Amino acid sequence: MTEADGLKLENVGTEIRVPAGALVVKQGEPPRCFYVVVSGRLQVFRETAEGIRTHLTELGPGDYFGEVALVTGQPRTASVAALEDAVLLEIDKAEFDHVLDHNPQLARHIIRQLSHWLVKGDHRLEQEVVHQAKLRQVSWFDYLLMLGLSLVLALVFNLYNDNQIPLVHGWGEKLNVTEIPLTRALELHRRQAAVFVDARKANFYDRRHIQGAINLPLLYFDLQYPMFQFILEQMGWQDKPLIVYGGGFSRRFDHELAHRLEEKGHPQVMVLGGHYAAWEKHFPVVEKAGSPPPAMPLGIPGLIEWLPVGFLGLLLIPPVRRSPYLAMAGRVVLGVIFVEFALSKIMRPGVFALNVVEYGLMPPWGVNLWALFLPWAELVVGLFLVLGIRTRAAATLIGAMNLIFIVGLVNAILLDLPINCGCVGEVGEPVNWWKVVKNVGMLLMAVQIFFYDRFLVLDRGGFIWREREI
Amino acid sequence: MKLRRLLWAGALAALFSAAVWGCGESRTPFAGTYRSEAPYAGKGHVDLILKEDGEGLWILKPVTLRFKWKVEKGQIWLYTREGGIIIATPSEGGNKLNLDMSGTWHPSCPVERCVIFRRISGGSG
Repeated sequence: MTEADGLKLENVGTEIRVPAGALVVKQGEPPRCFYVVVSGRLQVFRETAEGIRTHLTELGPGDYFGEVALVTGQPRTASVAALEDAVLLEIDKAEFDHVLDHNPQLARHIIRQLSHWLVKGDHRLEQEVVHQAKLRQVSWFDYLLMLGLSLVLALVFNLYNDNQIPLVHGWGEKLNVTEIPLTRALELHRRQAAVFVDARKANFYDRRHIQGAINLPLLYFDLQYPMFQFILEQMGWQDKPLIVYGGGFSRRFDHELAHRLEEKGHPQVMVLGGHYAAWEKHFPVVEKAGSPPPAMPLGIPGLIEWLPVGFLGLLLIPPVRRSPYLAMAGRVVLGVIFVEFALSKIMRPGVFALNVVEYGLMPPWGVNLWALFLPWAELVVGLFLVLGIRTRAAATLIGAMNLIFIVGLVNAILLDLPINCGCVGEVGEPVNWWKVVKNVGMLLMAVQIFFYDRFLVLDRGGFIWREREI
Repeated sequence: MKLRRLLWAGALAALFSAAVWGCGESRTPFAGTYRSEAPYAGKGHVDLILKEDGEGLWILKPVTLRFKWKVEKGQIWLYTREGGIIIATPSEGGNKLNLDMSGTWHPSCPVERCVIFRRISGGSG
């Protein structure tokens, strides 16, 4: 015997046929009727103004609905739609009240049912609160997972990479190059008794160098040494002492170049002593107000990078700013950008290490470690974002990386360093204020994701998406 | 569930495309032997050999230097041992290479730092 049979409703109401997909009751409508399911299946759901649908339950033959609104007199609390062709017994409010007045068994049953709904509602609410709390949790484990995974992958990949680099550049190597004090070097320069060799890349040399210095970039030593030798021969400077300068904060170039020149048999090679940038103040310099290095067109990756700039405009619209759909789109955009950043650098950490050196912010011991670790961190965190895993922690890490990039870029712009960004691709990406704006856009995207990301998330408590059954 | 599967498939497809994208272009059209038009550093002509497997040789007798190379956006990138990049721009159907020795990307090869090579053999250019 079904519930409806026990309620003695056989003499009231009208049988109606409902086709599959039809809405029988709409949430928010004033109540008119009470329904008993004779055949077919129906779905009960609630939907918010933003279109977020919560699936409440399914009804089959013998179940009934619509009693809550009729008893309370409030608008419908949920919508009911037919999942397949269904037959319902429709009882209007007058009939329903009449049946209720004369059927204490039905009244008790409805009270019991309403109480059951209340208890179930409380339970559901508790579940949801717990779920949301878990969703919003960010634990140290999340960071440890992503950073640890990146570090392990970076180290293992470097072991098997054809282009592997040492963890710390020059670790264990003793170059034993003599340093010449600044005042003594200045004296030799004044008397033209030494050849000054600039170890930096050509664009740095072009911008500013010691008067009369020859450029021999360490990076192209093997290719350009014959030309350097040729110049010495042409000028008759073979026997003059060589004074190498042009090391940055990381002192990457000058000591190593001096060592390589000694290996080539030059008898007197020295490195300019004191602070690495002291020559700019003490020596006569040749300066050329140059334009920034040319930028190689990046094609599609360059266009994708503009999306975060558009995002800045969207943030001005409050309802859009809080939208979980925007957060989801932001995750995909940021994830793709960071994966793309990573893939352009992962194969050749040595090239990226030189980009890091050019920014002049990293101490010598940190350059290679950073060059190995960062691309893998970008890849892992980017993937976590796209796949919806630990998205709040991933967004924090992406935001932190963006902050570091912004500091590096602003520093390079203010110091007028003739460098390329090294963010995506290996050459030719400009360092300018637009690049800063793009990174600010990405940073804000990460913040928006942190606060409003809700959908298509694989997190504690399972996978969450739009039509989630609570 | 269908949406979830679609999402994963989309993500994997995007990653695969990105990975393939990052692999660079075919080396075949530019593989071959090239010789500098003018003597380099007063010593002699430089022979530049680009092998299909990505290995390259820069020969200025008696010294031979090894490097790696790839093709990116129609240009040839030579990677030095220290991590520097020299970009060569092919022209005349790949028979001429302009090597920008500055180590910085330029839309054209700066005259004072440009070494021009001509193809001697190999390649499909």
